[in-house]
Amino acid sequence: MTTRLSLSSAPLMSFKPGLSAMTALTLVLTPLPLMAQEVSVENEPSTAQDNAPLETASSAAPIPLVPGEPIWDSFHGQLNAQKYSPLDQITADNVADLEKVWELHTGDVADGSGDLPATVWSATPVFANDTLYIGTPFYRILALDPASGEEKWSFDTQSSLEALTQPALKNRGVAYWEATDSEAGEPCQKIIYMGTMDAQLFAVDADTGEQCADFAENGVLDVNQWNDTHDKWPLSLLQPPTVVGDHLILGWAGNDWAYEQAPPGTVFSINARTGEREWTFQALSDEVREQSGTANVWTHMSADEELGLVYLPVSSPSPNYWGGNRTEEVPLGTSTTAVDIETGEVVWSRQWVHHDIWDYDTVAAPTLMDITVDGEEIPALLQATKMGFLFVVNRETGEDVWPIEERPVPSGDGSVEGEVYAPTQPFPTKPVPLLDQSEKPNVWALADAVSFGECSALWDELRYEGMYTPPTTQGEGTLGYPISAGGVQWGGVAFEPDSQTAIVNTSHIVQYIKLYEREAYEKADSGSGNESGFAPQEGAPYGMRLEVALNRWGMPCWEPPFGELVAIDMTTGDIKWRRPMGVSQQYGFFMPERWGSPTIGGPAVTAGNVIFIGASMDAKVRAYSLETGEELWSDQTEAPSVSNPAVYEYEGRQYVAFVSGGNTILKNQVGDQIAVYALPE
Amino acid sequence: MSSSFPSKSGAIVLLIASLMGLAIALYAYFTPLTGVTGTLGALVAILACLALAILALLLASTQGPGTAIFLRILILLGLGGTGFAAVLLHQWWIGVAMVVGLIGLILDLMRPSRLAHS
Repeated sequence: MTTRLSLSSAPLMSFKPGLSAMTALTLVLTPLPLMAQEVSVENEPSTAQDNAPLETASSAAPIPLVPGEPIWDSFHGQLNAQKYSPLDQITADNVADLEKVWELHTGDVADGSGDLPATVWSATPVFANDTLYIGTPFYRILALDPASGEEKWSFDTQSSLEALTQPALKNRGVAYWEATDSEAGEPCQKIIYMGTMDAQLFAVDADTGEQCADFAENGVLDVNQWNDTHDKWPLSLLQPPTVVGDHLILGWAGNDWAYEQAPPGTVFSINARTGEREWTFQALSDEVREQSGTANVWTHMSADEELGLVYLPVSSPSPNYWGGNRTEEVPLGTSTTAVDIETGEVVWSRQWVHHDIWDYDTVAAPTLMDITVDGEEIPALLQATKMGFLFVVNRETGEDVWPIEERPVPSGDGSVEGEVYAPTQPFPTKPVPLLDQSEKPNVWALADAVSFGECSALWDELRYEGMYTPPTTQGEGTLGYPISAGGVQWGGVAFEPDSQTAIVNTSHIVQYIKLYEREAYEKADSGSGNESGFAPQEGAPYGMRLEVALNRWGMPCWEPPFGELVAIDMTTGDIKWRRPMGVSQQYGFFMPERWGSPTIGGPAVTAGNVIFIGASMDAKVRAYSLETGEELWSDQTEAPSVSNPAVYEYEGRQYVAFVSGGNTILKNQVGDQIAVYALPE
Repeated sequence: MSSSFPSKSGAIVLLIASLMGLAIALYAYFTPLTGVTGTLGALVAILACLALAILALLLASTQGPGTAIFLRILILLGLGGTGFAAVLLHQWWIGVAMVVGLIGLILDLMRPSRLAHS
């Protein structure tokens, strides 16, 4: 497959001030990754002349990938998404002494039993401006004293609490921006942004909580004004924007699985001061936008300000489990795409799933890291995926760090009309997959025995020929290991730069997907839960059913462990250690630790050689040794902490903050707790 | 065989242990951040401890050896099941209470000869 990628002059020129001439030349001259999909950019390829302004720009001060100061002012801590803190007051030796110094219950919680939908709260607390900021699933912003949790101010968006696009009220927090040239006495020189499910982006003064009058319409930007294709639902702003300089890079979430055609995945760059739209990125061609939709960016993004690039984790086109309406190549679907921060033009893109019919949305911001492989220093990017693959490429060019091979994958069984199948898919050779998807997972004998053979009977009805076995209408459908539930979810990968160790939590979950012809679907449809059950894919010839493979007692039909924490030596791509993580829990009963727990949420890592993470079913938050993986500390919280922790220092004391909000995908338990820990004074 | 224990001492120990278990299970069910707050498992533990307390009272008052044997079997199953549930609920003190209850049951096992001569 030939790769053709044209770099326009505009994006290269816009790399200033940080990009060096050498880097720019590398971008132009380096052979592009073999399996990157064809990406056409309107402008002509760059020439040597194009690079001339960059030589001038190279004298500007470099912007280090890892900030020199402790920073936790965004969803993944830092723009590089490393979730790394250089703070070392809390160490592997003293973390056992950690104690809860304050907790707060926001009151913004619902379990779905009343008038309100259930809440799903996955926000990372943001520490900036000597304040801890947090967004809630009732779309309120709280500004808290970092040491005591005392409320400084709160702002209520008054958003209607309706689950317009999601099965639950969801929020992943807020974003923070501050002017580099702030004017004393003027409001909104520091701004907190938060979106709502009905597509309104709010901007409020970080000091006072007052709406910023100069931003859009009195501090509110109606993003839905740009929802102009298949606008069946609003562009839900559940994920806070990624703030890069004065740009707010904004994706959105939608109502998956409901329709064949859906709003196409546009990413917007918004001026942080005014709310004006600067550029848009479209993952789909005009033709495919009309036929299909989505391929949106619903999770966080990362950015390298030195290179002038923002990295977009692009999801799959619509509908998720049938691709007969998008049989042509969709090169930016299910990809990591690097775009120019100033213009939004594509610089490089790597597609991780060709013709995605498994809902393998690129699920987390790629983690940017500088690594040394075979003596060579490489500006790398690690993209975790739902498939359990970790793709590692050069973040300047998209080239492989370790070979990523195209391998043949199963084709369909002929039962699905109009479908086409990609003959090959990308497989990384290093690091090894986080779970072995090459063979049908074994039935768990215990679950099978107590259900009198229910699991093995189900297994016999499920088709599986390895990763990328396509959905079918036959039997009970196709086994997915993993499928929609991941692998890795939006918590992504943490990275400790000194030891060059990547840390990631992964789930081992078997689901099964079946397509139903329309008439059969109407008869079979018995409702749905949070990302499970029946979904119509209305307009497509097939509805679908997706279930987790459980027996009648709710026990997984596949063998444990159900979730792990994994550390990877990024100088070799080898696994340093892996261990079951957390404890599974059903009806309150805890299962043995060696079985682990499915995980949603992600890690943080510190210079104290400690990994902090919640993410497990048992609603505990834990600390592990970076060196050995040994569990060093834990505490019980109100609900599973399905977010990343925040690590910050305030008045000389190091704190670790967890949000315990729960997610019904993991467990029927919700919470409204912020729990903050520190060493005794 | 003579015994230095009062005839109802075993049942009383069992009753106290069951009530201890009940109190801990109630605490675990109703108190935030126990890990099992509001769960079906903690509710089962509450009901099981309550049932054990009632069985302990019946055991203390029963005179017939056949009924006593039947009650002891039920209690043994109850202690084992509740203890196992306590371990799975990570409610170690309920487990300790069940061990104490087992000691009470063992003490009560010394009662048959006294029953026969009473």
